Amino acid sequence: MENKLKTYNRIAAVVAFIGLPIFLWTLSDVPSRTFLKDAISLLTLIAFSCMLMQFYLARSNNKLLKVHRMGSVMKWHKAIGYVFVTVLLFHPLLIVVPRYFEAGIEREEAFVRMITTFDNPGIVLGLIAWCLMLILGLTSMLRKQLPITYKTWRIFHGILSIAFIVCASWHVIMLGRHIDMAMTLFMLTAATIGIFLLLRNYFLPTPKNA
Amino acid sequence: MKRDKKTLSRRQFIGAAAGVAGALMVGPTVLNGWSENMKKLNEADVAYEDLEADVLVIGGGMAGLFAAVKANDAGAKVMIVSKGRLGASGQTPFAKGIFIYDPQKEKVSLDEFVNSVSASAIGTNNAVYTRQMAEHSLARVAELREWGFFDSPLYNNAFSKPIGQRNIPLIERVTITHLIKEKGKIAGAAGFSVDYQKLYFFKAKSVILCTGAGGFKPNGFPICDLTHDGTIMAYDIGAMVTGKEWNDGHAGKAENAAACFDGWGTMFERKPGLTGVEIHHDLGVDMNYVAYKTGNPVNTRGPGMATANVVGGPYRPAEFQRNGPPEREPGPGLAKRAPSGGRGDRRPPRGGDIPKDGGPPPMMGTSVGGSSAGMAIHKSEGLVPINDQCESNIPGLYAAGDALGSYMAGAIYTQVGSSLAGSAVQGAIAGEAAAGYSSRVEKVEISESQRKIIQKEILAPLKRDAGYSPAWVTQTLQGIMIPNFIIYIKKENLMRAALTYVEELRDHHMPMLRASDMHELRLAHETRNMIISAEMKLKASLMRTESRCSHYRLDYPDMDNENWQAWINIYKGEDGNMQLKKQPFGTWPDGSEL
Amino acid sequence: MSIENINGCIGCGTCVATCPTDVIRLNKQTKKAEIKYPADCQICHLCRMYCPVDAITISPEKSIPVIVSWG
Repeated sequence: MENKLKTYNRIAAVVAFIGLPIFLWTLSDVPSRTFLKDAISLLTLIAFSCMLMQFYLARSNNKLLKVHRMGSVMKWHKAIGYVFVTVLLFHPLLIVVPRYFEAGIEREEAFVRMITTFDNPGIVLGLIAWCLMLILGLTSMLRKQLPITYKTWRIFHGILSIAFIVCASWHVIMLGRHIDMAMTLFMLTAATIGIFLLLRNYFLPTPKNA
Repeated sequence: MKRDKKTLSRRQFIGAAAGVAGALMVGPTVLNGWSENMKKLNEADVAYEDLEADVLVIGGGMAGLFAAVKANDAGAKVMIVSKGRLGASGQTPFAKGIFIYDPQKEKVSLDEFVNSVSASAIGTNNAVYTRQMAEHSLARVAELREWGFFDSPLYNNAFSKPIGQRNIPLIERVTITHLIKEKGKIAGAAGFSVDYQKLYFFKAKSVILCTGAGGFKPNGFPICDLTHDGTIMAYDIGAMVTGKEWNDGHAGKAENAAACFDGWGTMFERKPGLTGVEIHHDLGVDMNYVAYKTGNPVNTRGPGMATANVVGGPYRPAEFQRNGPPEREPGPGLAKRAPSGGRGDRRPPRGGDIPKDGGPPPMMGTSVGGSSAGMAIHKSEGLVPINDQCESNIPGLYAAGDALGSYMAGAIYTQVGSSLAGSAVQGAIAGEAAAGYSSRVEKVEISESQRKIIQKEILAPLKRDAGYSPAWVTQTLQGIMIPNFIIYIKKENLMRAALTYVEELRDHHMPMLRASDMHELRLAHETRNMIISAEMKLKASLMRTESRCSHYRLDYPDMDNENWQAWINIYKGEDGNMQLKKQPFGTWPDGSEL
Repeated sequence: MSIENINGCIGCGTCVATCPTDVIRLNKQTKKAEIKYPADCQICHLCRMYCPVDAITISPEKSIPVIVSWG
């Protein structure tokens, strides 16, 4: 029974955070492009979606995850975090990579133009989210070296995550190539519930035996 | 029989359904003719700005670039105004080949080159401008190289470099509609912003028109922003204009005829390259003649090859007959050889068989004519130069590139890549000449009375309660002018008929054009310019009662060397009517020998 | 439709400046480029080539009837 539940949970996670965004991606009426460009788009989308999933692969989601060992959940949380934070850190560069293979504006120029369009709030939010993500990644990697207790770190990590996901979701919804009504709804729902779970974890006393 | 009927009715049904679907799809863009003006202009909302320079360069293409740079370097206070973006509007962004005459490398001497061009052009070229282009090409290309022109398929950066280094003020997205003449000489220009409700008055001692060529916004050629604006505003203040009877004979693909990017293969994505001496007699109206005689599909083995099994048609000098495989004139009259290298070349072809030689793809399937309708051979139409300094008959008014009727190549394409080189060379010459002129004359003030008239003329379409949409009038004009049997394969009765229509548009529609925003205001002024151009084209074509180079008359199929060793100059008479007169080949307007 | 789609636009305005025929404008509210005058598109692809984020998709069909010299 427990094993079955574990399997269900895993399937549910994959369906909700990988299957659903890919499905919505194929539904959107954005014209398909070269294989490379579409691959980069998909990778970025999945990476962001997995960042949303991180809120559910955490202690704050202990009710749903009670059948799993928290240690194993944390292992996944870390692995997914490191992989997709890396992908997203490179995401601004990935956007101009196809310029290596086609005529047009130079990739360096495109990149600079992109990250300096400060009059668009979507870009500013993206830059903030990128910095927050960098801090999230570094402080997770170097947690043991930091002169703070684990408890303080957890609170810090949680607050940073919330700040990140708010900026990042907003950025994605404003500027995402494949953003439409359905995709927006998916991201908002996933982010809102995730944040809610985390906040509940902080502000409501959790029964020890849960 | 029964089956036929069935098929027919099914086809009819599909046709009707497609029609309905089409109408629904294009719903918002269906061209309505006459209607109320949705948003009439509130005159109080209009802003004004006055700017001043010694030399005002109008246009930001190849000619405008060099005009501004050289006028600045000659000590003048320069300003550039363009209706588009520097290096990204007009035909310049699509010109991928530039000719150089390198005396170290070429087997032919400069004299031989000029003589060969003159032979191909059957006397229609101005040999002084032919020589000037070749002589200066190397130096201009060296400067372009320094600015990074050959490093990217996009030219804005390379063009911005010298302009930025010199701090030359650059005003983009401002459409100039009027040249201003006071006391017999240039005093400035006026126009409007396409972004804001704003009018600009430029005070200038000298103006260089680098406004490019133009056409009837044809499909398949990137000239839908070019409507002979410079020519028409200069004509309005008394400048002489030439070359309206000649035609550029580019054809296009029937499938998606309007898609000029697709029509030119990967050409637009290439970095520019160099071309050397290679003289032809190309891309007049041979193909148009074949299409006229035999219908479509035209034998599309290339210009000059199509005539094999058709009797008569445009004359081609014996030494320029084609025997070998067809060659194409790639690009808007430019590069033939594939300009070398570039990231652009690595892009996978987007379907179809795209040739590697830099030309447009071989026409797959059926062709259609009139890709560049309304445009003459590069540099054969425009302002009449009174000397080798790109100077017009209006003191202070200069023109360079396609805005100058220099006849550098003649009335037929003679040297591939020379169009872009010629624009660079003439821009530089005009820039220096205009700087010299402006140092010698005093500034002339723009009178209040002229200002009022110009304001009124610019804003008129915005102030009408109702009127014809520019798009609809343009399309009507296209329907009159573009057919093969009107501007390409000409005969008197049809041209007279077309002229009657055009005069109707001029007298009854031009004064009733409406505009609800600044974009439409630009369309309205462009439409006006096209109507006047059409009138010029028909009148010059009617006057030239012979066939030569890219002008072909069915009723006068032969060359008439007795009467027609002459160019046709057009100017506005005292009464405001269009006047035409001959200027013998090999002379300047004052009658002196070249 | 000529210029068919603009997706993932960051509102830098390069395409607006670049379009020779003034087809694209920036929407002040959304801060994104929009296809404002599709009928005037000459299908030259300059906007696409200048776009830093490759947001523009262009189809070869013209949205208004095409007039040619011979069919």
